[in-house]
Amino acid sequence: MVPWLFLLPALLLFLVFKYIPMAEGIRLSLFEVRPFLGDLWVGLDNYARVLSDERFHNALNNTLILAVGQTAGAMLIGFGLALLLEGTARSLWFVRSAVFLPVVAATAVVGEIWRLLYYPAEGGFLNSLLSWVGLGPSTFLDHPDTSLWSVMAVGIWKGAPYDMVILLAGLAGIDRQLYESAAIDGCTTWQRIRYITLPALRPAITILLTLASIRGLRVFTEVYVLTGGGPAGSTDVWMTRVFSLGFETSELGVASAGSVVLFLVTLLLTLFVQLLRRRREA
Amino acid sequence: MQRRTARTRAAFAAGAMAVGLVVSACSGGAPQGDPNAPIEVWTRSQDDTKKVYEKIFKAFTDKTGIPVNYNPPPYNDFDKRVQERAQAKDLPDLVITDTGSLGPYRKQGFLLEVDRNAFAGQADLVERAWNNGKTADGKYFAVPFSTQAQVLLVRKDWREKLGKPVPKTWDELAALANDFTTKDPDGNGDAKDTFGIVAPGSTDRGYLAWWAANYIWQAGGDILSESGGEYKVAVNTPQTVQAVNWLKGLFCDSKVTLPNALTMVTNDAHNYFEQGKAGIYLTGPYMFTRFDKAPGKDKYEVIPSPAGPSGSTVLGEGEVIYQMAGSVKTAEQKKLAEFLVSQQAQELGMKVDAGQRQVVRLSVNKNVDVKTVYNDPRWDTVAKVYADSARPFPNVPNFQPFRQQTAETLNSLFAKCGNDVAGELNKLAGNLDKELKSQKAAQ
Repeated sequence: MVPWLFLLPALLLFLVFKYIPMAEGIRLSLFEVRPFLGDLWVGLDNYARVLSDERFHNALNNTLILAVGQTAGAMLIGFGLALLLEGTARSLWFVRSAVFLPVVAATAVVGEIWRLLYYPAEGGFLNSLLSWVGLGPSTFLDHPDTSLWSVMAVGIWKGAPYDMVILLAGLAGIDRQLYESAAIDGCTTWQRIRYITLPALRPAITILLTLASIRGLRVFTEVYVLTGGGPAGSTDVWMTRVFSLGFETSELGVASAGSVVLFLVTLLLTLFVQLLRRRREA
Repeated sequence: MQRRTARTRAAFAAGAMAVGLVVSACSGGAPQGDPNAPIEVWTRSQDDTKKVYEKIFKAFTDKTGIPVNYNPPPYNDFDKRVQERAQAKDLPDLVITDTGSLGPYRKQGFLLEVDRNAFAGQADLVERAWNNGKTADGKYFAVPFSTQAQVLLVRKDWREKLGKPVPKTWDELAALANDFTTKDPDGNGDAKDTFGIVAPGSTDRGYLAWWAANYIWQAGGDILSESGGEYKVAVNTPQTVQAVNWLKGLFCDSKVTLPNALTMVTNDAHNYFEQGKAGIYLTGPYMFTRFDKAPGKDKYEVIPSPAGPSGSTVLGEGEVIYQMAGSVKTAEQKKLAEFLVSQQAQELGMKVDAGQRQVVRLSVNKNVDVKTVYNDPRWDTVAKVYADSARPFPNVPNFQPFRQQTAETLNSLFAKCGNDVAGELNKLAGNLDKELKSQKAAQ
């Protein structure tokens, strides 16, 4: 009884701000939404529209590329940073805080700043840097061939320090004696990473993968601020499509159906990762 | 036992607090249902226009004693917040925003019908402006508040430095844009830091279609053509194809548009004209106040859009007053709407202090004289363009999906620079036709 009472505040807040809206979203996905005229029951029509819409297919494709790219990129760079910045020295603490800054910066602000950095002509900041080494100017966000990669780079820049922190925590838990024994046995650095560090980091990596894949599928703010899904729909992701349908063309029913599909995919993905992990650990 | 009691008590306290939070969240103030609450008004405004509206609403309260609660949502969040409030069945009593929202709002049942004959002062309103509040079935669901026509702003100092004439045709416009892009018109020694045309080419809210519609009409093309109250898709006619090909040339061949145009929304676009990055901008007259500060009043000129193969038609729409459904204060709603189109309120919306922008551009009230109020020849140009060559988007039940899909196709054509313009427009025509049929407005 008492534990439940302690849980009650959180549960009630979740109920009001999460579960009821979620149930409402599922309900709306079955209707043509017209708050003042009465919603019209359309059954699974909204789902059919989402699943057969070419632009949703394109958005799904972009979302997957972005999710995989950002997850892998952020983890690799985060791992590199973690290896570089591991230790207890005071200066490292300072550098780690500085490196962590992108994570705490507001995503919308990050998007606006990167939009300026990416200005696709010679006067742009990044293009000025490129011109020093005889390259560019690159179109970055403003050409369908380069836009998705440019958005991905921002995602990696923002995500890598977060991964670094989790991996640093994982690294701190590794028994130093293992490294010393390995050194005595004549192992190379790579062998130490391969046979000691990576296996020890497995739980941290699983958590990161789960979080990153969910984050990747729900990506919205940076894409919306950077490109609004353009040009030519080349950076349109699932959530920008849902947003556009919901708030620009007022198709709230179809937008809700899109959100429910995303929810189901995220749920399945999370369960899949968990199952995989359990099987490995068993 | 003592400890147990303390813990239990703490848990109850926490639980009670949570219940309190939830209850207070659910019963948050509902001004729409309360007949004694002030009338709630939202406008799609930024800080500089908000102050002008405050002045108008104060005048209304002074005159009628009816208090107004004016606390509009952030400009960029406007549409989202309206939808949120609609879901809560708690819309503001009155909303002033683009006439483009008429279709989506009507479709969702947000609006109260306006009885023109019972609307005080309706005879003082310009007949043409009333069209902005008319829906496809000939009924009125909004009252016009402000109208405008798009005009071309050109960097006069750049043009004169290069010795070019004021552009009167598309060819002259393209040539001027080309010179602005290649001939270092700002004379800073770098020929690559300026561009010809500011084009807000993002698909956000269908911006690109908004901008491109002017040129499509100037070539004699259209998105939808009307005859006898019924519509036909015209986005794949030879004239539209010609216009889109010409526009594509600006983006892809001569590259006279800003390089980041295709992901740019209007709010960003203003900055590039302001900062002297590009010298030609087809936009509304509400930008004068801002551009008079930078690049400077003497640095740019206001001219009618140069003529295309079929004339110089531009978009002439505006803002309208929506009386929202669900309000218990319908009498006050109407009274405020009637005040807003009165000569007094219209003039208050036009005469602004330094740093503010007009919320009424061209008055919808016949008794307001543009010349006397503004005493600015640039506004006379706007009034003339509105009278001679401005037109609105058609009154199909909901124009928004047409605008959105057209913007997406154009954005794709200008981004990929492929050659199959006619093919892509045909594909778009097919989709628009489907939309037209689903709105039951096809011929």
